[in-house]
Amino acid sequence: MKRQFTLLLVLSLLLMLVGSNYAQEPQVLRVATTRAITTWNPATSFSTEANYIANIYETLVVVNAPGAEEEFSPALATSWETSEDGLTWTFNLREGVTFHDGASLTADAVVRSIDLAREIGGAGFIWFPLSTVEAVDDLTVQFNLAYPAPLPLILGSTYGAWIISPDALDAYAADETYFDSGVAAGTGPYMLAEYTPDAEIVLMANEDYWGGWNDNQFDILQFSIVADAVTQEQLLLGGEADFADRLPPSSYDAFVENPDFEVFTEETLFNYVGFLNVLRPPLDDVTFRQALSYATPYQQIIDVAAEGLATQARGAVPQGVFPYSEDVPQYTYDVEMAQQLLADSGVDPSTVSLRITYAAENAVEETMAPLLKDAWEEALGIEVTIEAILFGQQWEEAKSDPANAQDVFLLLYWPTYSDAGADNLWSMFRSSEAPFFNLSYWANEDFDALIDEAGTVSGTDLEAARDLYTQAQTIMVEEAPGLFFMDVGAWYAVPTYITGFEYNLNYPFSIYFYDFEIAA
Amino acid sequence: MSLAKLFLGKRAEKLPGDNFDKEPVERSGLQHTLYVIRRDVLAMFSVGWIALMLIFAIFAPIISPYPEQGRGRNNADYRLLAPSSDNWMGTDELGRDVLSRLIYGARPAMVASLIVVSAAMLIGTPLGAIAGYYGGWIDEVIMRITDLFLAFPSLLLAMAIVSLAGPGLLNAVMALVVSWWPWYTRLVRSTTRSLRSQYFVEAARSIGVRDSVIITRHILPNTITPIIVQATIDIGTVILATTSLAFLGLGTQAPNADWGLMIEQGRQYLRDAWWYSMFPGIAIFLTVLAFNLLGDTLRDIFDPRQYR
Amino acid sequence: MQKLEYTLRRLFLSLLVLLGMTVVTFALTRIVPSNPASLYLGTRARPEQLEAAREELGLNDPIPQQYMRYLGDLLRGDLGNSLATRQPITKEILSRLPATAELLLAALLIAILAGIPLGVFSAQLHGKPADIFVRAFSIIGVSLPQFWLGLLLQLFFGLWLDWLPIASRIDSTLRFTSPIQNITGLFLVDSLITCNWIAFQDAFLHIILPAITLAAYPIGLIARMTRASMLEVMGQNYIRTAEAYGLRRRLIIYVYALKNAIIPTLTVIGLTFAYSLTGAFYVEIIFNWPGLGLFTARSFLNLDFPAIMGITLFGATGYIIINLVIDLLQAYIDPRVSLS
Repeated sequence: MKRQFTLLLVLSLLLMLVGSNYAQEPQVLRVATTRAITTWNPATSFSTEANYIANIYETLVVVNAPGAEEEFSPALATSWETSEDGLTWTFNLREGVTFHDGASLTADAVVRSIDLAREIGGAGFIWFPLSTVEAVDDLTVQFNLAYPAPLPLILGSTYGAWIISPDALDAYAADETYFDSGVAAGTGPYMLAEYTPDAEIVLMANEDYWGGWNDNQFDILQFSIVADAVTQEQLLLGGEADFADRLPPSSYDAFVENPDFEVFTEETLFNYVGFLNVLRPPLDDVTFRQALSYATPYQQIIDVAAEGLATQARGAVPQGVFPYSEDVPQYTYDVEMAQQLLADSGVDPSTVSLRITYAAENAVEETMAPLLKDAWEEALGIEVTIEAILFGQQWEEAKSDPANAQDVFLLLYWPTYSDAGADNLWSMFRSSEAPFFNLSYWANEDFDALIDEAGTVSGTDLEAARDLYTQAQTIMVEEAPGLFFMDVGAWYAVPTYITGFEYNLNYPFSIYFYDFEIAA
Repeated sequence: MSLAKLFLGKRAEKLPGDNFDKEPVERSGLQHTLYVIRRDVLAMFSVGWIALMLIFAIFAPIISPYPEQGRGRNNADYRLLAPSSDNWMGTDELGRDVLSRLIYGARPAMVASLIVVSAAMLIGTPLGAIAGYYGGWIDEVIMRITDLFLAFPSLLLAMAIVSLAGPGLLNAVMALVVSWWPWYTRLVRSTTRSLRSQYFVEAARSIGVRDSVIITRHILPNTITPIIVQATIDIGTVILATTSLAFLGLGTQAPNADWGLMIEQGRQYLRDAWWYSMFPGIAIFLTVLAFNLLGDTLRDIFDPRQYR
Repeated sequence: MQKLEYTLRRLFLSLLVLLGMTVVTFALTRIVPSNPASLYLGTRARPEQLEAAREELGLNDPIPQQYMRYLGDLLRGDLGNSLATRQPITKEILSRLPATAELLLAALLIAILAGIPLGVFSAQLHGKPADIFVRAFSIIGVSLPQFWLGLLLQLFFGLWLDWLPIASRIDSTLRFTSPIQNITGLFLVDSLITCNWIAFQDAFLHIILPAITLAAYPIGLIARMTRASMLEVMGQNYIRTAEAYGLRRRLIIYVYALKNAIIPTLTVIGLTFAYSLTGAFYVEIIFNWPGLGLFTARSFLNLDFPAIMGITLFGATGYIIINLVIDLLQAYIDPRVSLS
């Protein structure tokens, strides 16, 4: 008995040794991130969870970063064409793609996903131009537009354009909470493995991904939600994290000089705008608003609030995003000019008291507001107060009663999809019945007419549309219903043992971890 | 009620270390208090530091090297400089002198805590005295309400109120008053109850003295001393609370100077600009320490049964 | 019989207080101008969607009706769903509780192991010059702002000396290479039981700084209390009798004196546990400890009012329960306590 037992023991030990040589340890990418989940439902997703959704789900096309050869890359669609009038688009789907739950990618799935996003998505408004979408056959989808619009841009949106498994859609129709704890219903390279709210998210590789895998890619993505930049930096430097998405701005130089890291400085589509309440005197006077525009210390704001990682904005469209144009005018910091304009406007500075509100959670705005206050007080002799409000309340106040709302509203903005004409300009400065994002409450017929026309033209002729948008922006800048501060950049420090990092500003909250590889 | 009456009677007491051959010195209550403090290093420190903080708070514009910056004006060309002869405590992320901000920060700390403690005392004392004196259902009702508020961990209630009402020093002060008054009610009530059963109260009532007179003339003066001890320590605790709230973004708002707010803003620069967060923290610590030590010393004086 | 009556009365009163608390928290959240619907849907929601959400969340019903609904849910143990994460709040709280519990227990352990000997030691020093330092030390503990102490420790031991990690509970790689089995939810305990030494060491290193930060205040309190009661006990006759008999000093102090001095200290320990709940809040923020405190911070900042109500009630309930337990224990153990 004893001898047999010993033999068994030795055999099993041997097996364990041998077995462990074969069993490969999974390659884990540990990420420290600030991005939390507000929902796992890809149709309604409208916030920072895009970081994860973008790795689990896919869109028909991907909008490439500015400077790429092609404007779009095929994703779930391999090719497409449009009719002469730009109202009918036909997309051909990729063959042989399956969802994580086993369902096949068909035109029907695409139609249902888009219809759902259109109906319930927070970003549903991106589908306004769409009249109907139908499946021509299993692998062909036809989009019929009500008016011309740049459909590929919309289809590549980071919100409201994800393709979801039809089985999941069925389950969701039966049970509204189906997506809430996180399910695997996409076609993307990663699937959701584990989710601890506010703490951790684990994604694991989708073995059957149509893009294929090589040995150097990561099998498991482990995200720890760390809200604080200093902590993320500590985790990165201490080797407890392989990637961090928010590092303290003051550490930029240290990382550049650190041989273990490579620093990537990127343009983004975030910009900072300040709405001036044009309904309340003296902000109802254009000349006064222009005076404020000249009294704004743009470079100082860039240097101090954004640590130098920004460029002064031209209008409300960020650099690198359609329809940006160098022809849009911008103000400069010119105190004399400001004082001149103040005198021209006839406004008595001693009677003026402006209230700036900003989101208490936003550190950049927190730094920007005192700079504005000091500059305006000094240049114009007016009184300025600043008030930090939690964003939700700042929002409420601005939308409820313009007459009693703030004078200046600082806002960090980004377009839902990469058309800042249809998004930024339309949302922020087009007149509307009840203020949506137009928190300057400005209403200008010429501006409205121009961007409405441009929106339609952009479906067929982007350059012509760009011209129209530029004209509209020129009016906007001259009328100064807002202050156009800066387009901010971002920077990432990637350890040298990882390659493949690429930032695509069209997907502001997402990093495509599929591209990451262990350096050879 | 005069200050002299505050310290009832004269005291003569031998302290450890006294020469046994000397005659015990007779001193009035106040003199005795000062005598004790002067002999005790820690007490001297605490009185001195509190005086310094009061001077900071009152004379901030005169004392601080850069009063404009203390109030919030930025100086963006001189960001995050290390301590130097120009800026003894360095500068913050907007170039403002940390020392000046520190001095101005004494204002919300001292003023807010004095208001909170005074208000809590003003609300809690009469309630406690009434509850303790009359007993019965008045007592029950008041005590239940007190228990209700005491049931919340105090800072949690304050945080809830402020986050819902909107951040700001005023709201923070009000929220803290709401959290703090129950302690005084309880304190005064228990003292009142034990005093009420004493003979002199019975005697006064039998003569026909009105209740309100008994409470104000006879009972309250005897409750003063524990209230003072509690209040002194509480000022320190409230300073901790207001700075904690400011740290969370629920208290004093930028660009005003506040020690807790400075610590929070300095947090992201901890690696490269430690002075930004460290000095305000030392200020809070020493101030709270001073009040705690002073309260301790006062307790020893007023209630010598406690072992030092 | 008197004890039973006392117990029942205290229980009943506690329930009343709990009920009162629900009214207070509910009232607070309804007074305030915030828009829970836009938190629910995100700020880019369109007005029609917001209106639909308001209906769904029952925000248009009369207030008393909303309160009754809330109370009904509470009785079923349903604290509602967080507007931000859409998960049941009860689940959110319970899932984060072990992390906070581990932190609190570690801090309490440190406080007891450091505080009591310190108190005993300082009692022996009574009257000598060194007494000042020890007195100061214990007062220092209760005067330190916890969020600042945490930063200080992070600066020294993390950033400057690089001896200890300054964030999180454990290195995330270990989840895959040496995962800890979930038995109690306390990493240290679980890894010890399953002989997972690598994980134990890592979790231990991670908990040192936050636990010390949280322990600062209790150490002060416990030391002072122990000191005071030791002094009182040491002056008693039976101690002097023991000394007269020539018993070893150490024996006297640690066995006879301490045993009696401990009782009031136990009360203090219970109270500091309750106080530490708020302290844990700040410590978790500074050290990114994934417990109840971080969740609370986000909920307050987001104005996630169901979560705020849930957490406040939860914290207050815990507070009440602990106080009740302490009171009852005192009543049963210490015959000197009056039961009025």
